[in-house]
Amino acid sequence: MTTGASISVGLVRDAFAQALFALRENKTRTALSVLGIAVGIVAVIILGVVTKGVREKVFAEIESYGLQSFWIYRNQNVADPNADVRRGSGIDNDDLEAIRLGCCPAVKHVSPRVYFTEWNVLARAGNRFTRILLEGVDAPFLEISKDELDDGRNFRPTDIEQRRPVAIVGSNVQKQLFPERSSAVGQSFRYEDMKFTIIGVLKEKNREFLKSIGAAETYNINDHVMIPYTLHQQMLASKDVHTMAGEAVDKASIQTAAEQVVDLLNRHHFGRYQYTTETMEAWSATADRILTNISLVGVIAASISLLVGGIGIMNIMTTSVVERTREIGIRKAIGAQKHDILTQFLMESVFISTIGGIIGLVVGMALAYGLTVWSKLDVMPSFLVISIALLVSMGVGVASGYYPARRAASLQPVQALRHD
Amino acid sequence: MIQLRRVSKSYTAFAHASVVLRDVTLDIPTGQFVAIMGPSGSGKSTLLNLIGCLDTPDSGTYELFGQHVDQMSEDQLSMIRLRRIGFVFQSFNLIPRYTALHNVELPMIYARVDPAARTRRAQRALELVGLSQKLAHKPSQLSGGQQQRIAIARALVNDPAIIVADEPTGSLDSTTGHEIMHLFRRMHAAGKTIVMVTHEADIAAYAQRILYVKDGRVSEGVLR
Repeated sequence: MTTGASISVGLVRDAFAQALFALRENKTRTALSVLGIAVGIVAVIILGVVTKGVREKVFAEIESYGLQSFWIYRNQNVADPNADVRRGSGIDNDDLEAIRLGCCPAVKHVSPRVYFTEWNVLARAGNRFTRILLEGVDAPFLEISKDELDDGRNFRPTDIEQRRPVAIVGSNVQKQLFPERSSAVGQSFRYEDMKFTIIGVLKEKNREFLKSIGAAETYNINDHVMIPYTLHQQMLASKDVHTMAGEAVDKASIQTAAEQVVDLLNRHHFGRYQYTTETMEAWSATADRILTNISLVGVIAASISLLVGGIGIMNIMTTSVVERTREIGIRKAIGAQKHDILTQFLMESVFISTIGGIIGLVVGMALAYGLTVWSKLDVMPSFLVISIALLVSMGVGVASGYYPARRAASLQPVQALRHD
Repeated sequence: MIQLRRVSKSYTAFAHASVVLRDVTLDIPTGQFVAIMGPSGSGKSTLLNLIGCLDTPDSGTYELFGQHVDQMSEDQLSMIRLRRIGFVFQSFNLIPRYTALHNVELPMIYARVDPAARTRRAQRALELVGLSQKLAHKPSQLSGGQQQRIAIARALVNDPAIIVADEPTGSLDSTTGHEIMHLFRRMHAAGKTIVMVTHEADIAAYAQRILYVKDGRVSEGVLR
C-alpha cells in the first residue's frame, strides 16, 4: 500500500521528530540559531512597517497640496542679455482672462498668485504681531492648493472685482494674533497702513515631511494670508501675475494642461520669456525616489542580519550532520535514497528557521503595535509583510540547510557506518 | 541468484592501495544459509558489504536476481537494499532516540508505506521476534539480545529475499547468541537467503555452507 500522500506524511513526521529532538537535545545551540533568524525577521518586519507607514504619511502630505495642480512662473535664471529690458513676470491679467474663457481645454481652473519680492511681512492685531506670507489670489486657489476652510468663507466675485480688504488666514496666523478666540472670522488685522477683515480661517496643514527634506521654515503654509489679487496688484501698481497656479481636469493631463498654458503665454508675449513648470506629480516622484533609496538601505541592513542568522543555521546543521554520520549510514544501509536524507536535513533547518520566523513575527508585531501607539502612524504589518517574513525565513532555512544536507546525502554508507 | 564473477576490490589508505578482494567468483543460490569465516582483515566484511550492495566492486561483475549491481547508481543500490536486503549488524545500529516500534517502522517510511499499515506491520514483526511488550522502549532501556531482535525485526519488515548479517552475535553472550541463531534458523526455514559473517565456529555451524576468506581469496569450507 503506497500512496503519494504518504511520501510527505512519513518524511514530514520523521523530520518533525528529528527537529524536535534537536531542539530538546541541544537547547542552547538551537535556541541561538532560532534567535539569529528571529532577529533578522524582526528587522525585516520593522523595516517593512516603518517604510509603509512613512510612505503613506508622506504621500498623504504631498497629496494634501493637490496632485493635479501645477505652477507656472517666469524662469528668472535664464542667462538673458535683455533681462533688464524685459522686466516683469511674463504673465498678466490678459493671460488669466484668456484661460478663464477656455482657451486651454485641459485646464480646469486657474488662480493668479501675486506677491511682494519679500513676501514675508509683518501683521499686527491690537498689540500682537506675527510674520505672515501675504499673497493675492483668486477664489479657485483654495481648490487648486487643496486648502480647506476651518471656518468662514472663500472669496466671492465681488471681493475680487471691488478689491475689498478681506483676507483668508492660515491656522498659525489665527493662533498668533487671536489666541484667545476659537475663530478669527470677523476680526481684523493691519499690514502697514491697511486694515483687512478676516473672512476665513484655513485648516492646519501637515508639513513634517517637507520640513524634513529642507523646506524653509520661513515658508510655512500655515502662515499664509490670502487677499484678493486685484487688491494686491493695486498695492504693487501693476497688472503682473507672478505665478499662475492651475489645476488640470484630471491626473493624466497635468503635463498637457501646463503645456497649453505655456503655449498661450508664449503666443501672448511673443516668446520673450521662458517659463518654469512645477507639478506636485514631480515632487511626488522625487519623494518616491528618496523613500525608495532609504528603504534600500534598510533592506540591505535587514538582509545582513538574516544572512548572519542563516550562517548560524548552516553552522548548527553542519555540526549536526557530523554528529549524526553513523545514523545517516544506518538510514542509507536500510534503503534511504539521497533525496530522503536531503529532505530530512532540509526540513530540519527549515523547521528551525520557521520557528525563528514565527518568533520574529510575534516580536515584530508587538514592536509594530507599540510603534503604532507611540507614533500614531498606522504601521501594523499587512498580510503581505507577514507572508513575506514567513516565506523569507523558510527560504533562509532552505538556503542555509542545503549545503549541510547535501553533504549528509552524499555520505557513503560503508564509511558512515564506521564512524563513531 | 547471487553471482559474483572475478570480483576485485581495493582500498586506498595513506596513498597506499591495498587489495582486499582478489578475483572472487561465487554463487549463492536462493534460500541458502551461508557463513563467511576468516581472520580479521581477511576481507570478509568487504565481501559482505559487496553482497549487501553497500559497496560496489572495482572490477568483475555482480548479478543479483539477474540485475547487474556493479553498474548501478547509488540511488539504485539504495532501492535494492530497501526492497531485497535486510541488514543485521554486530553493534545493532538502532537509532538510539527512537522507540523499538519507530526503529522498525523506519525502512517502511523509505518504502512509502502508509502510516497505518506501517505501524501494523512493525507490531507484527516485533511480535515475531518476541518483543511485543517492548514497543515503546528505547534501545538503551533494552538488553543486547533484545536490541538485536529489534534489528532483526527491522531487517525483515520490508520482506527482503536476502538477510545480510555482520557478526550478529559478536556483542552478545553465548546463550543470547544461540537464541538469536534460532531466529536466523526460523528466517531460513521461511525461505530467506542468509549471508552471515562470524568468527565463532559454533555460530557458523547453524549455516548450510561455510566460506573461508583469507588474503582476499574465497575458498569453500565444510558443507554439511
